Amino acid sequence: MTTLDTGHHEQPRLAKDNYLTHSSGLLSWLLTLDHKRIGLMYLVSVLGAFFMGGIFALLVRTQLLTPEGTIMGQDEYNQAFTLHGAIMVFLVIIPSVPASLGNFVLPIMLGAKDVAFPRLNLFSYYLWVIGAIFFVLALFTGGLDTGWTFYTPYSTDTNSAMGGVIPALTAVFILGFSSIFTGMNFLTTIHRLRPPGMTWFRMPLFLWSIYATAVIQVLATPVLGITLALLIIERAFGIGIFNPALGGDPVLYQHFFWFYSHPAVYIMILPAMGIISELIAVHSHRHIFGYKFIAWSSIAIAVFSFLVWGHHMFTSGQSALVTVIFSAITFSVAIPSAVKIFNWLATMYKGHISWNTPMLYGMGFLFIFTIGGLTGLHLGTLATDIHLHDTYFVVAHFHYVMMGSALLAFIGGIHHWWPKMTGRMYNENAGRVAWCLVFVGFNVTFLTQFMLGSQGMPRRYATYPADAGFQIYHIISTYGSYVMACGFFLTAIYLVLSLFNGRRAPTNPWGGRSLEWQCSSPPPHDNFSEQPTVGDCYDFTVLEWSEKEQGYVWRSDVPHPGSEADQPTSEGSH
Amino acid sequence: MMSFVTSMILSLLGSVPPASVPTDGGATFWMPESASAQAPFVDHLFDFINLISYIFLVLITVILVYFAVRYRQKKGQVNFSGDGPVHNTPLELTWTMVPMLLVVAIFYLGMVGFLDLRRSPSNSYEISVTAQKWSWSFDHPEFGVNQSGEVFVPLGRPVQFLMGSADVLHSCFVPAFRVKQDVVPGRYSRLWFEATKPGTYQLYCTEYCGRDHSKMLAMVHVLPEDEFQEAMGKLATEYMDLPEHDLPTYALERLYNRCASCHSLDGSAVVGPSFKGLWQRTEKGETVFTDGQKLSNLVGTGKEFATPEDYIRNSILDPQHLVVQNYTGAMPSFQGQLKERQVTALILMMKYLDRLVDAQGEPILSPDLPELNEGDGSEGSEDDAEQATGTDHSKDNGE
Repeated sequence: MTTLDTGHHEQPRLAKDNYLTHSSGLLSWLLTLDHKRIGLMYLVSVLGAFFMGGIFALLVRTQLLTPEGTIMGQDEYNQAFTLHGAIMVFLVIIPSVPASLGNFVLPIMLGAKDVAFPRLNLFSYYLWVIGAIFFVLALFTGGLDTGWTFYTPYSTDTNSAMGGVIPALTAVFILGFSSIFTGMNFLTTIHRLRPPGMTWFRMPLFLWSIYATAVIQVLATPVLGITLALLIIERAFGIGIFNPALGGDPVLYQHFFWFYSHPAVYIMILPAMGIISELIAVHSHRHIFGYKFIAWSSIAIAVFSFLVWGHHMFTSGQSALVTVIFSAITFSVAIPSAVKIFNWLATMYKGHISWNTPMLYGMGFLFIFTIGGLTGLHLGTLATDIHLHDTYFVVAHFHYVMMGSALLAFIGGIHHWWPKMTGRMYNENAGRVAWCLVFVGFNVTFLTQFMLGSQGMPRRYATYPADAGFQIYHIISTYGSYVMACGFFLTAIYLVLSLFNGRRAPTNPWGGRSLEWQCSSPPPHDNFSEQPTVGDCYDFTVLEWSEKEQGYVWRSDVPHPGSEADQPTSEGSH
Repeated sequence: MMSFVTSMILSLLGSVPPASVPTDGGATFWMPESASAQAPFVDHLFDFINLISYIFLVLITVILVYFAVRYRQKKGQVNFSGDGPVHNTPLELTWTMVPMLLVVAIFYLGMVGFLDLRRSPSNSYEISVTAQKWSWSFDHPEFGVNQSGEVFVPLGRPVQFLMGSADVLHSCFVPAFRVKQDVVPGRYSRLWFEATKPGTYQLYCTEYCGRDHSKMLAMVHVLPEDEFQEAMGKLATEYMDLPEHDLPTYALERLYNRCASCHSLDGSAVVGPSFKGLWQRTEKGETVFTDGQKLSNLVGTGKEFATPEDYIRNSILDPQHLVVQNYTGAMPSFQGQLKERQVTALILMMKYLDRLVDAQGEPILSPDLPELNEGDGSEGSEDDAEQATGTDHSKDNGE
């Protein structure tokens, strides 16, 4: 949207009373029940954890520049990759989209004043904080070197794993409840607080994906809690559950763990898909294509996600029959994912695509998620997975899905809703440059790891044989990660700067039609003074650009929703 | 429908030039050197999935870039037409069904290849593998040979690894053979391959197992059949060349693993009497048998056993003859499985056990042994050329 960047115009008035200025003082934040403030606190906390996880990632990549390792010993490296994985999964990606952006946007999209249980919402946030503290505690009680998967019997044998296992398990246990409560809150909110006119199939697709996510959070996370509690009991009291030396079964732990942790992958990717549905539609200024297919595919993915955990265990020694069945169900997840990709592409057809930062992240997602999904075929296929299992091919695959897709969609979503959250516009050109660095850096880092893995490089290796031809790929990958890091630092810089000297954001800078673009930027404390009426949130023909507002406004020749002349338009009526 | 799709795919596989499968089995852009009978199928399938992936990736990327450029928002455009369809059921069903058919085909081929990887031929040459932090140990029961850190396997013959772990999870991975299998404590797992190219190949541990996980490597040497037999024969008789001084250590490291499930080193009674203090009891003749006889009455000039060593030799080769009180006599005979010199080594091991292992039965790294002379053990160290044939797969004690 080049018109956004040109010239200095009269700045739109900042709403006098917004949620940021509604009350002041530290306690007004720490004890707030406002979903917007809680969402913002989550955002800052999650990005802080992202910084920590990123530092560990750079340490890991730097170590692997040479076959014998550059900066760390074996023990330090094992801790670095464990903390990178654990922080990124439990503290960053799982809470990223639902807890920060979801918290901020979901009630406003529904035209509601808040989530259904505001106090529970604040409690969830503090559970996250306590979980993070326990992770730090793990570092000071002997360290953590089990890998983020805590596989038994390594993790429960006090002679093997380092001393920080119990604090870390406690951290994950507590974070699990943070996730469960957030999911319960969102489920109730979506069921109970939808405004008049918003039927299930008129919800923005972001809400569908958050809904599907919440179902998984509520149903799968308790299993993780129970599993980790059993692990703590075995390690602390020597009661045999998973350790064969005590009469337990280590493969049982893997079943329990992946029964949660596979659905958890969809806790990460489904909200990201929701963001992408919004980004592509709004920034293409074009009605989303195949709304129902996208909505149903979110539900289908949520259901299938519970039935495929065994594909993490193709080489574990589970029976051949079980393995074959899990492989078959795994492939069924490919279908709804492919459907979404094609629907997003079709949305761009005959659109009016603005090349601003959120849309660049959206288009980058389509490319990266396609690679992430297609390489899932190599891994779901049994004969090829046996060779690729536990190699860098898997590492590259899940970084394409969890980092390149889920996390970059999160960053895109931050840009999309930044004007709404902060009331400021960021520097668009800086955003485009930073996206280029991140996109190129990401692909250089992880595309090479596919070759590394198929050539046989195992995961979680602090050193590697010098004559296996791995080093060149490691070098390229490491330099790629440095480029990506530069992109993220640039992003942090221009976003922070925008808070001080960014242009005031209009109510509707991008031309979105879901309800958050109808309340001021930033929104007032109560979001809406009266309950808004809802139309088709993907019909952008009713909006037009206003030079005066420097944003999109309702077309003067089109009646407002709720008035007599506006009858709800249904999909396909165009 | 199913068989139609399969035959279609398989014919496609045949017609596509296999990028990852050069005729000489060398490394390609995607795959490492290929050296097993299973590798070509895996590589063909990998190439086929790659082909599908390339097609979809190029298709999606081209459409994405074309739309992004073609439908870029015009400068100064203030509002938007509602052009373009918002849904199209036949189109959406097409892009649901086409990927579905493709993944069904891929799944089927993957399953076929997998079942082949899991089902080892019945005539496989078997090797017992023990994984422990952070080393691999390989037992050849057929030759009574143990190898550590490297393993010899015959060329062109199916080989099966019967694997157990002494501590945590490990996983055995040989990229050149395209095989991998987790090694789980408390149960056995199996992995098989048929090597098709002589050479040396890297074996990795691919399940994280602690500090030196990345150093838990081993080499697989594929040898033509005659060289393999020769190498095994050499390893099987290596004790012949050992000086007497090294025999106790040899017995502890290479022979004791066959005794370990019944005879402890730390004094605890298992199926049979512990080796701890066994020599001292024998020398004093304190042992009492099930028929009430005392050993001291059986040893001496003109009696059944000339020396205490003779009694132990008899117990190994004919264990049912005299069974120690309170035990059931479950021991099999090792007649024909152990050579005389190996029996000698075992007796020496029992004699100097307190110098070889500590109170917990853990091996002492460099034991302080006296200079031993020929004849210090039992008489008759002459050896027959017959090969030892151990039958059990009990785990090696490692180093």
